[in-house]
Amino acid sequence: MTAPTWVLATDTALLTTCVELARGAGGPVTVVAAGPRELADAAAAAGPDRVLWAEPEADRPAESLAPTIAAAAADAGVRVLVSTVAPAARALLGAAATAVSASVVAGAVALSVDGDALVVERSALDGAVLETLATAGALALVARGDEVAAPDGAPAPVEPLAAGPVADLRVVSRTPVGGASGVRDAERVVSIGRGVRAKADLELIGTLTSALDAEIACSMPIADDLGWVPKERYIGRSGQHIAPRLYLAVGIAGMPQHMEGVRDAKVVAAINNDPAAPIFRTADYGVVGDLYEVVPALVEALRE
Amino acid sequence: MRVAAVYKWARGVDGATVHADGTVQWRVTKMVAGEDDHAVLAVAQALAGDSDGSVVGLTIGDGDASWALARGVTETVSVADAPSLTDEAATAEILAAAVTSLGGVDVVAVGDAEEHPGVAVALAGKLGWGVVAGVTRAAVTGGRVAAVRRVGDVEETVSAATPVVLGVAAEAAEPKAPGMKELLAARKRPVTTTTLADLGLDPVDPVDQRGTRVPEVTAARLFDGEPADAARALVAALRNEGVLR
Ligand SMILES: Cc1cc2nc3c(=O)[nH]c(=O)nc-3n(C[C@H](O)[C@H](O)[C@H](O)COP(=O)(O)OP(=O)(O)OC[C@H]3O[C@@H](n4cnc5c(N)ncnc54)[C@H](O)[C@@H]3O)c2cc1C
Repeated sequence: MTAPTWVLATDTALLTTCVELARGAGGPVTVVAAGPRELADAAAAAGPDRVLWAEPEADRPAESLAPTIAAAAADAGVRVLVSTVAPAARALLGAAATAVSASVVAGAVALSVDGDALVVERSALDGAVLETLATAGALALVARGDEVAAPDGAPAPVEPLAAGPVADLRVVSRTPVGGASGVRDAERVVSIGRGVRAKADLELIGTLTSALDAEIACSMPIADDLGWVPKERYIGRSGQHIAPRLYLAVGIAGMPQHMEGVRDAKVVAAINNDPAAPIFRTADYGVVGDLYEVVPALVEALRE
Repeated sequence: MRVAAVYKWARGVDGATVHADGTVQWRVTKMVAGEDDHAVLAVAQALAGDSDGSVVGLTIGDGDASWALARGVTETVSVADAPSLTDEAATAEILAAAVTSLGGVDVVAVGDAEEHPGVAVALAGKLGWGVVAGVTRAAVTGGRVAAVRRVGDVEETVSAATPVVLGVAAEAAEPKAPGMKELLAARKRPVTTTTLADLGLDPVDPVDQRGTRVPEVTAARLFDGEPADAARALVAALRNEGVLR
């Protein structure tokens, strides 16, 4: 029988994506849900064969369960482990990988079996290349990919995971940060970068945000170094992660740290005078030109 | 607390060129400071400062180990012959052996790198320690480590008993890089060099590379030419997508 595969989940993001990746190993797929009952239920609907549910004690983070889950993975003879990049899920993955002597590979987008080998395709070098890797041993994968819809059909059975040792970690505070800026839930966002030359030019950008009925956002330097736009409106790894229907980047280079914040946007469009700007590699649409000419033209075209 | 700050433990993405046929050429094969490394050091120094403790630097491979010495660290250890490995658990194994050999380490701070998100957590696994990943800053309170991170819209503080591994993520570029004078002075300071053999390691990479290819990216549909025409074309495309009001 093919060795079992475990998906380690601490939140609902990319659950079905991880289960689909795990299916590539050919064995039975279990989601280990470390969190509240709702997480276990969401996991059950994501297409696995079963769910093992463990709830951390009150005031403990999900990763406090790492020793329990690692021991259980070793007992079950797990050969493939999958998690998302979420810090808590990865903590479980690191512990379990050690317990089953697995290699750890990140950026995994596809998994298959070739004879005795597990073959994984993974995205590397900031997404510039897809690498095919193979191992005869066990494998722990940090998955990458887009959200996919949960399959139809009956949910998998949920069984409790037997209690075991826990790591001495406690959540001592949880404070909401910068949620109220309006940019979080906006359908359309116009975002400005250092291509905008002066604070006074925000007036010009304002004509575009009104024409589009959009909220204003920006790249990190515009908020952090220049202070032209409130800090809770900058987008990216260290800023807001948003999912508008339209993200229009004006004079933004499109560095990976920035683009991380709009991975879930439906359409990304960009205005940049440099045809080689990185943003054009990830955007859906682009206008190559000087924003000081293109923005007024765009406002005009929106009126037509 | 004795805090190990791990730095320069991977090659830099900028050191690789991806050719049109999908092959990858490493122009720079040395380990370089990762973009999180300055934040790793800041966290390590904060914890040591809070607890009257000390920071020990730890690096692997052939990168210039004086990076930490130029930033206020006085003791640093380099596992100079450690290779670059695909398996992040194998890299973690080298780091774990080095941390163990340092002795008396209470906290390991290591970059929670985008490109290698498995190393910090696998390192904790190898050491058998707890781990908090995605940490942006940390302090010592009541003999424990209070590590701060952002989870969605929430800033969360996790209190961890030592020993513990912190995966640290930088929020920005290094605020103030050392000047030429500090860099040159640092090169003259001692680095303790150790080898894989000293650590009793003979790393093999259990992961083989079978090939690389360029991903099929759907490049942006670009409109150029007269601004008025380009703008009109963009508006039409966005209308078509149904993303305009
Ligand atoms: C650890 C770390 C974390 C980071 N986190 C974030 C983050 O969360 N968010 C973030 O945004 N950044 C982040 N950064 C910074 C990021 O790497 C970039 O430096 C930053 O996003 C660049 O901002 P920019 O695109 O506005 O500026 P620039 O890089 O200066 O780009 C300006 C762009 O405007 C274009 N331009 C210039 N003039 C015109 C014109 N007249 N018309 C049209 N286009 C024009 C240029 O061609 C260029 O592409 C982080 C960096 C690090 C190291």
